[in-house]
Amino acid sequence: MKSNEIDELEKELLEFIIEVCNITDPVPDNISADDPLIGPESPLGLDSLDAVEIVVAAEKKYDIRIGSRETTRKILKSLKTLADYIRKQTKGKAKSKATA
Amino acid sequence: MRDNEKNSFIHRQSAHCESGGTSNILLNYGVDVSEALVFGIGAGLFFGFFPFIKMNGLPVVTFRNMPGRILKNTSKRLGIKIESYKFKNPEKSMDALDILLDKGIPVGLQAGCYWLPYFPDALRFHFNAHTLIAIGRKGDEYLISDPVFEEPVTCLRKDLMKARFSEGPFSPKGKMYCIKGIKGQVDLPRAVTKGIRETCWFMLAKNPIPLIGVRGIRYFAKRVQEWPEKYGKRRASLLLGNAIRMQEEVGTGGGGFRLMYAAFLQEAADILNKKELLDISERMTETGDKWREFALLGARICKDRSLDGDNYDNLSNVLLDCAAKEYGIYNDLRETVR
Repeated sequence: MKSNEIDELEKELLEFIIEVCNITDPVPDNISADDPLIGPESPLGLDSLDAVEIVVAAEKKYDIRIGSRETTRKILKSLKTLADYIRKQTKGKAKSKATA
Repeated sequence: MRDNEKNSFIHRQSAHCESGGTSNILLNYGVDVSEALVFGIGAGLFFGFFPFIKMNGLPVVTFRNMPGRILKNTSKRLGIKIESYKFKNPEKSMDALDILLDKGIPVGLQAGCYWLPYFPDALRFHFNAHTLIAIGRKGDEYLISDPVFEEPVTCLRKDLMKARFSEGPFSPKGKMYCIKGIKGQVDLPRAVTKGIRETCWFMLAKNPIPLIGVRGIRYFAKRVQEWPEKYGKRRASLLLGNAIRMQEEVGTGGGGFRLMYAAFLQEAADILNKKELLDISERMTETGDKWREFALLGARICKDRSLDGDNYDNLSNVLLDCAAKEYGIYNDLRETVR
């Protein structure tokens, strides 16, 4: 089921992607967290080269690693999958810092 | 007959089709080796720039060994007996596949992924060396464990046949394989050592034509610097975009497979009980990040949103830095397994 609700992190990511990819066209109001992020069906019109920029910029901003075992295409499926991945990674880090 | 409901094949999603497919099929024969381990044992890491070989009209830049080599090397080094088949007649190739599937044998297939209808449009591109595993069928519908997908998928006979006989570079010609048996005990340390040695050999190769290995990276760096002047801005962007896509997409796991190789070295440190491999793994991760810097810079140039200092000279310098780092890594790596 498609949900139009965008949570705080997803909203932050949307703004971050708009800035990183320098999207100057108006962004549709009804963008959903489940909409495809990359590819011909992306409402933001992003392609694989944009994906490279998003991955590297997100790694820097959130101090996470995207690659190797986790497939980039799975993580960049939608705003929701990207936000979920960041939450999982940063939570894991906070946990390991707390137990250290 | 094995159908969707009864199938017991264990499917794991992976970044790279050949390494992931090999890892999955081995797991189902009781040999549990990760995707990264298969990639390393199979000596998958590579660099090659072949300006005279064109795919989709663009020169080939590759970060991995020839399609099929990972499977061949891994099975040989782990003592797994593989039987491979090639066909001229598409119908016969499908009949041969059916016979194996009906016996409950999973079958590895090479296919052109553009013709596989379960690929979403965003991921469809002309690549004839895609690896997938047929794990069952119900009449004309085949159950497929495609390593780059989260769950097994289905494909109709006519579509699978078309994909198995797609034309162009690396044409699959109906190629398929299955496991025939395992010779004795799997010797993982020996297999890992052999894989590392082969990678070092290729990457430090001193061929008269410097198109592969570290020398290939240096040659590529020189050519990249010349692209805007030689081909003009538009064509240079096309060439650059192609190199970046080969590096960051096509199942590389990021950084042109360097990050996957770093994961392999981490596992190798345990298997060989050599702590120095952990340090080399970290250096390989840094190199993967450097390759990503090249991709990032290049993507900004292609997209016309360059920042100060984003130009082809700088791109070339980043590549030379990658080459220098990798030269040190393979020399040290070679010493650890001498």
